[in-house]
Amino acid sequence: MTTATAVSIHSLWTTLADSTPGAATTSTAFQTPKVEYAQLSPILIVFGAAILGVLAEAFLPRRSRYTAQLAISVIGLAAAFAAVVALAADGYASTKSHIAAMGAVAVDGPALFLQGTILLVALVAAFTFAERRLDPAAHGNRVDSFAAQGSAVPGSEQEKAAVKAGFTTTEIFPLLLFAVGGMLVFPAANDLLTLFVSLEVFSLPLYLLCALSRRHRLMSQESAVKYFLLGAFSSAILLFGVALLYGYAGTVSYGGIADVVGGTAKLTPALANSTATDALLLIGGAMVVIGLLFKVAAVPFHMWTPDVYQGAPTPVTGFMAAATKVAAFGALLRLLYVVLPGLRWDWRPVMWAVAILTMVIGAIIAVTQTDVKRLLAYSSIAHAGFILAGVVAVSPDGVSSVLFYLGAYSFVTLGAFAVVTLVRDAGGEATHLSRWAGLGRRSPLVAAVFAVYLLAFAGIPLTSGFAGKFAVFKAAAEGGALPLVIIGVISSAIAAFFYIRVIVLMFFSEPQPGAPSVAIPSLLTSSAIAVGVAVTLVLGVAPQYFLDLAGKASVFVR
Amino acid sequence: MNPVNYLYLAALLFTIGGAGVMIRRNAIIVFMCVELMLNACNLAFVTFARLHDNLDGQIFAFFTMVVAAAEVVVGLAIIVTFFRSRHSASVDDASLMKL
Amino acid sequence: MSSFPLLTLTAALPAVGAIATAAVPAARRTTAKWLALAFSLATLVLAGIIATRFTPGGARYQLTESHAWIADFGVRYELGVDGIAVVLIGLTAVLVPFVMLAGWHDADVLEAHRPNRNWRPTQGFFALILLVEAMVVIAFESTDVFLFYIFFEAMLIPMYFLIGGFGDRAGAHGEDEQSKQWREAPPMRAVVGDGRAKQRSYAAVKFLLYNLLGGLIMLAAVIGLYVVTANQLGHGTFSLPQILQARAVGRMHISAVAERWIFLGFFFAFAVKAPLWPLHTWLPNAMGEATAPVAVLITAVVDKVGTFAMLRYCLQLFPNASNWAAPVILVLSLISIVYGALLAIGQRDIKRLVAYTSISHFGFIILGIFAMTSQGQSGAALYMVNHGVSTAAWLLVAGFLISRRGSRLITDFGGVQKVAPLLAGTFLVGSLAILSLPGLGPFVSEFLVLVGTFSRYPVLGVIATFAIVLAALYVLILYQRTMTGPVKAGIESMKDLRLRELVVVGPLIALLIFLGVYPKPITNYLNPAVKDTLSDVHKSDPAPQINAVAKETAK
Repeated sequence: MTTATAVSIHSLWTTLADSTPGAATTSTAFQTPKVEYAQLSPILIVFGAAILGVLAEAFLPRRSRYTAQLAISVIGLAAAFAAVVALAADGYASTKSHIAAMGAVAVDGPALFLQGTILLVALVAAFTFAERRLDPAAHGNRVDSFAAQGSAVPGSEQEKAAVKAGFTTTEIFPLLLFAVGGMLVFPAANDLLTLFVSLEVFSLPLYLLCALSRRHRLMSQESAVKYFLLGAFSSAILLFGVALLYGYAGTVSYGGIADVVGGTAKLTPALANSTATDALLLIGGAMVVIGLLFKVAAVPFHMWTPDVYQGAPTPVTGFMAAATKVAAFGALLRLLYVVLPGLRWDWRPVMWAVAILTMVIGAIIAVTQTDVKRLLAYSSIAHAGFILAGVVAVSPDGVSSVLFYLGAYSFVTLGAFAVVTLVRDAGGEATHLSRWAGLGRRSPLVAAVFAVYLLAFAGIPLTSGFAGKFAVFKAAAEGGALPLVIIGVISSAIAAFFYIRVIVLMFFSEPQPGAPSVAIPSLLTSSAIAVGVAVTLVLGVAPQYFLDLAGKASVFVR
Repeated sequence: MNPVNYLYLAALLFTIGGAGVMIRRNAIIVFMCVELMLNACNLAFVTFARLHDNLDGQIFAFFTMVVAAAEVVVGLAIIVTFFRSRHSASVDDASLMKL
Repeated sequence: MSSFPLLTLTAALPAVGAIATAAVPAARRTTAKWLALAFSLATLVLAGIIATRFTPGGARYQLTESHAWIADFGVRYELGVDGIAVVLIGLTAVLVPFVMLAGWHDADVLEAHRPNRNWRPTQGFFALILLVEAMVVIAFESTDVFLFYIFFEAMLIPMYFLIGGFGDRAGAHGEDEQSKQWREAPPMRAVVGDGRAKQRSYAAVKFLLYNLLGGLIMLAAVIGLYVVTANQLGHGTFSLPQILQARAVGRMHISAVAERWIFLGFFFAFAVKAPLWPLHTWLPNAMGEATAPVAVLITAVVDKVGTFAMLRYCLQLFPNASNWAAPVILVLSLISIVYGALLAIGQRDIKRLVAYTSISHFGFIILGIFAMTSQGQSGAALYMVNHGVSTAAWLLVAGFLISRRGSRLITDFGGVQKVAPLLAGTFLVGSLAILSLPGLGPFVSEFLVLVGTFSRYPVLGVIATFAIVLAALYVLILYQRTMTGPVKAGIESMKDLRLRELVVVGPLIALLIFLGVYPKPITNYLNPAVKDTLSDVHKSDPAPQINAVAKETAK
């Protein structure tokens, strides 16, 4: 569970109050906050690159922006990943786990593992963002998946002019970097304020990215509106939960709340008053967890997922499906394992129910889908359920299995969506399943790669999906959740049905006349897909090293 | 006046906002309801800060305002483009994708 | 531990062959065929070496290999063979080359229209067969439950593509005829072709879903086993020798309830695979729609993993639960025997008929296993071999017959023995083997199973014996309708067996006769392993005088 690494617990705002209660409000002495810049370097590098990207957007001539932005993103993300590896190698993932920036950000195993995963995912996603070979060139300019000008009304003269002038939305790269920066902070946030701010920091760029599709612009804008409204709604719920938790504990730091919940905190009169009833704690905790469950797309907070996944530009969908899930599960784990372990007898049954609902409903609704992107959306919901099964294990094994699953799943998802971008017809991507009929006849390689991803989603042995599924189910079974495992196994069988259906369609159906063609991607998308396949197979055949890594990284600092 | 009453007010505002999000169909109004919920949170924060006699809640309220402002920028941008392409801001019209 | 990883090599060789075959350029399809055949023959040689290096009656698991694999899951890469595994690896290695030869031209149809230059169905067909062989071999070799499970599941995928992608084109000939008549109405023809493809993919999906469901339920049981071993031994393990040893020294004790549940999870998966009534319904579809060689691969090779796993895992890991469940399983297998035979009599489609006879025969195998007598289990183990060889011989000849006429319907045939005497003759030998004629392989095993069952459960033994009568009925009716009588239209110009086909059928028939006359070499391998298994389930043979008689018969 939580470590015993003896780190003195501060609240961000109450360092003085700890020694002299009530002094914070009257103190005039101002202490310079101590910020460990080196330990925060991955986050700082990404945000620095993002700001650099904004400056490049402002000052560079249009011609050179694409190259410059891509370079900034790739170098920034790679440097941040190197920083994560350096921190982990330095022992911050285990012995030197630490809470940096005056208690705001944890630097520990889970945080570094998830940050590393997010950075790699983002790096691969940046490649798919930059792909310019798939769409036919417009007026002699190579175009990517994003609108020429986001503000232009679809179909208007203004848009045509923008396309003709060869405008491209290179802003997507800084937006991606800002989102990644927020995602890096999210699983590492060690107080509720950081949690909330980082949630917004990664959500806002994603809302914008969703609206920027080149094709199907109305659908894309619609998905952005839906995502935005429901996202803002859910973060308001989370925020109210934060307020109630703060009201209960008188602090927003994770450690401080955990102490109050566990009954080890020093009782001030105000605290004695607010902790007299558990209502604040239970309602507040529930609302915060709902806010996070919304982000992981757990049933019943999943309604946004299919629409947003379908409408958003496919590279963004891939990035969102992979990275958001990683970040949000990281935050959920930290919240449940660090802040609310004292309440686990209250939240475990609820999370049981959520996990069961998510697995079963995700799998069942997916069966009826006819659009590849919606199908993958529902499959991502079902997978959220499997990961929740690892979350309810409440053991280090549970944490490490969730970490491993997230790593395995995110690359499969990213690769699968990258394949979706390849299958195109005159109207852009051909995402309706009927259009995929006979793909295996015409492009055996693309179909085979997609089949590998689908088999990994289905959890067939020798793919990463199986190793991940086995890890979470094993942890859940050891944690006494055997019924959950059995339901999980049954919903896997249901889920397998629709993955298999797609394979049948691709390989055993006759191609339709006028079927979509498979675009030949540049090295960018090809490498994204190849990375996905490589990770899928390596994690499936020889997962030990990565399981070790996740196992070592499974201890939270407090 | 008992500060707890402010909490009741906050809860009430939050509920009104939440109900508005569920019921109203105009994207702008839905968005305003979300803002109302955020403001309810702010009220709760400030009240709790007073009850606990520390500053955390007040500072949190400032952050919430900044975040809400950022959300307005992004949200209005999205809703306005949506409105311009459809000449309607009703979320009911937004049904290109089936459930 | 052997210094030379013979078992790994035996499993790896066909896998390498699969990759090599798949890599052959599209234009060189004959090369691909010969390459695949060469790899399967090399595997046969390795299987022969395993048989010679194995000492019957020596250590229980020989030629073992053991390496750490996924320590977090307690999974080891552990291989080892007992007598039964040696024999079944041999069976697999013997049958696969024949399957390839028989299916030499099966993928050619797909070569006709090539959508692009990377279209390589021939290479794919042979590579998939080799891949199945590799996975089946490693499943027979593994002594780690998890390792076994992985390949037990993974072999579904190549099988699925073999069934769905290279289905029986028996209708193809008929389609052409129809298309001549319906040239004016092309859409109709499209519907017919589409219908066949639909049926085939339906069969493939049904095969996959049944087996996947079984496998996933087994997964829950595998996880349960891990939890039990983790609780009892301090570290989770899937190693069969380790678990058996821990139980032998009393370090491990599974509670009766847990044992029963985990046993049921395992047995369910194996019963789907085997297949046992009422989980058998995928087999007639899969065998009907697949080409005859692939159908042989399903029933003679892949399904053996199910019955083999019952012997190796169900009985050895869960002896008490096996005894507890035996009565129900015996009844189910008896139903399988009678039901399979009865439905076989009523079939109009030759390949579905074969599928139902296989269900009946798998009933015999499971009956022998769960009768818990040494004759019963040796008989069952021997039956796996004999069923494999006899079904292969029968079904491959039937496949030649079907591909000549282009129809699977029994009513489309008649008087074949007048135009193609060799074909009819070999078909007759295969048929007689299926009905367990003395002198041919299956007789010995069926007799052993019946004797073994009778010594413990006389009533079951008697009922099962009646099934032999039914077997005679369905086999002889099929022969009479297809081979004798007046020559039917469409049969007149039927060609007799070609050289390639004789090369396939001849050795299999020779093997059948050999096994029928002198099964001792095989039983020598089987008996010690069966004795070990029986001692695991704490059973000894009931009545000594019956025992002596049976031993006599076995020799």
